[in-house]
Amino acid sequence: MKEICGKVGRSTFLVLAGVARVWKLGTQVGRYSLTGFIRPKTIPRETFFRQMVLMGIDSTAIVSLVGASVGTVLALQAAYSLKAFGAIIYTGSLVGVAMARELGPLIAAIVICGRIGARMAAELGTMMVQEEVDALTTMAINPVRFLVLPRVLALAIMLPCLTVIADLMGMLGGYLIGITGLGINSQVYISKTIDALVLKDIYTGLAKSFIFSILIALVSCHQGLSVSGGADAVGKATTQAVVISIVLIIVVDCLATAVIYYALPT
Amino acid sequence: MADPVIKIKNLVKRFGDRAVLDGIDIAIPEGKITVIMGGSGCGKSTLLRHLIGLHQPTSGEVWVDGRNIAGLDEKGMNEVRKKFGMLFQGSALFNSMTVGQNVAVPLKEHTDLSPEIIKIIVRVKLELVGLTGFENFMPHEISGGMKKRVALARAIALDPKIVFYDEPGAGLDPITASMIDRLILDLSKKLSITSVVVTHEMKSAFRIADQIVILQKGKVIQVGTAEEIQNSKNAYVQQFIQGESEGAIPFKQTSEAYLKGLLDT
Repeated sequence: MKEICGKVGRSTFLVLAGVARVWKLGTQVGRYSLTGFIRPKTIPRETFFRQMVLMGIDSTAIVSLVGASVGTVLALQAAYSLKAFGAIIYTGSLVGVAMARELGPLIAAIVICGRIGARMAAELGTMMVQEEVDALTTMAINPVRFLVLPRVLALAIMLPCLTVIADLMGMLGGYLIGITGLGINSQVYISKTIDALVLKDIYTGLAKSFIFSILIALVSCHQGLSVSGGADAVGKATTQAVVISIVLIIVVDCLATAVIYYALPT
Repeated sequence: MADPVIKIKNLVKRFGDRAVLDGIDIAIPEGKITVIMGGSGCGKSTLLRHLIGLHQPTSGEVWVDGRNIAGLDEKGMNEVRKKFGMLFQGSALFNSMTVGQNVAVPLKEHTDLSPEIIKIIVRVKLELVGLTGFENFMPHEISGGMKKRVALARAIALDPKIVFYDEPGAGLDPITASMIDRLILDLSKKLSITSVVVTHEMKSAFRIADQIVILQKGKVIQVGTAEEIQNSKNAYVQQFIQGESEGAIPFKQTSEAYLKGLLDT
């Protein structure tokens, strides 16, 4: 019993210490972001734009593919249940609302977590091992400002954009199944989708994806900058970055959905 | 010897119970090349990390260009850091940037010079290290020796007063290593840069040093010119410069003796 309590205590302490370190990193990034408004040179522009291309443009194809696949599957599964109630024409409504509110932000975040979060942790981890971060420090350049800030800002801009793409592609996937496989009239499908969607569905989805982007970038950069040792430590940091980010995304998604749709006034 | 630009006074660094640096006192003269030598694990890299502010001492003082950097806050430390450059053992070039962009990093970050002027300065610095026309190469496209030279060009980009070198010849063939030595000598003479070189390569040390500091188990055991070190009566210094497996440090050690040796320091 004593041993179990000790393990739980140690694990809790480690989790809290990790949260505190990520929070500290977040406050530093926040401070530099604000400074960036007054003194634009604070943000390393070349890295920022390179990261935007890498995170956004280079991820468009995979996010589109996954978004369309999820929309297709959702339409097929929804039609199976809706058919029993003679409500198959509402497939478009269900797909539209589910993609905008929930699946678009979640799918985009999880794809980016695997693709970009892992990359950030591995890249920064390797830079730690190869003394590149020490080199920055000795050049009187703050590594958080030079390495973390452009990555956080780039992802905060690009993930909501990718979420819009995932939403649209998901709806397109559902639409194609609806009109070809389920025999729903094209105009009816589109009008039902538009009728069901309200502006709140879109902006709450985008707000969630913004929060996810900050979580992914901070957790991944923190893991990367915590590397000490060699290749083994880089591998561990990369895995942890992805696992922690995905767990946090799902937990935060639960909380955000509960708060936005049940706690806040409609 | 010239006035010291770096003064280390009674520097102690402990990791747990183990003193890695145990009362180090060194004066590094301005405009000269000082080589810090010693066997593996003697504390020379730890000492270097104190000089560049990557470690804080347990006790003692580290004066760099008239400022004690022990306990200095980040802002103050960054002011001191702008006065020196550092060549890392593995070059530490940013792999996602070209050679020219690497050299331009400190210039872009710490000056308000226009991109055209920065381009000219980068070209001049690369010329100084013998790499004219390599601006657009990526670090993975050049050899280890060339990487070191690029790192050196980056280290001198802001015309520092002091340049620190961590094992500049490590991993290089003897010819390339001697080229790096020549560069260190040239920079020291032409630009009056104070150089602090951490190495355990004897040939290189005797070739470039104005002053040699020998460390053993976290303590300074001898300071002198290359000639004085060569004629040293100290058994460890003689074993070290002759590169013999038997001497003051025995070839065979039991694990207990090794651990005791570590803990005794």
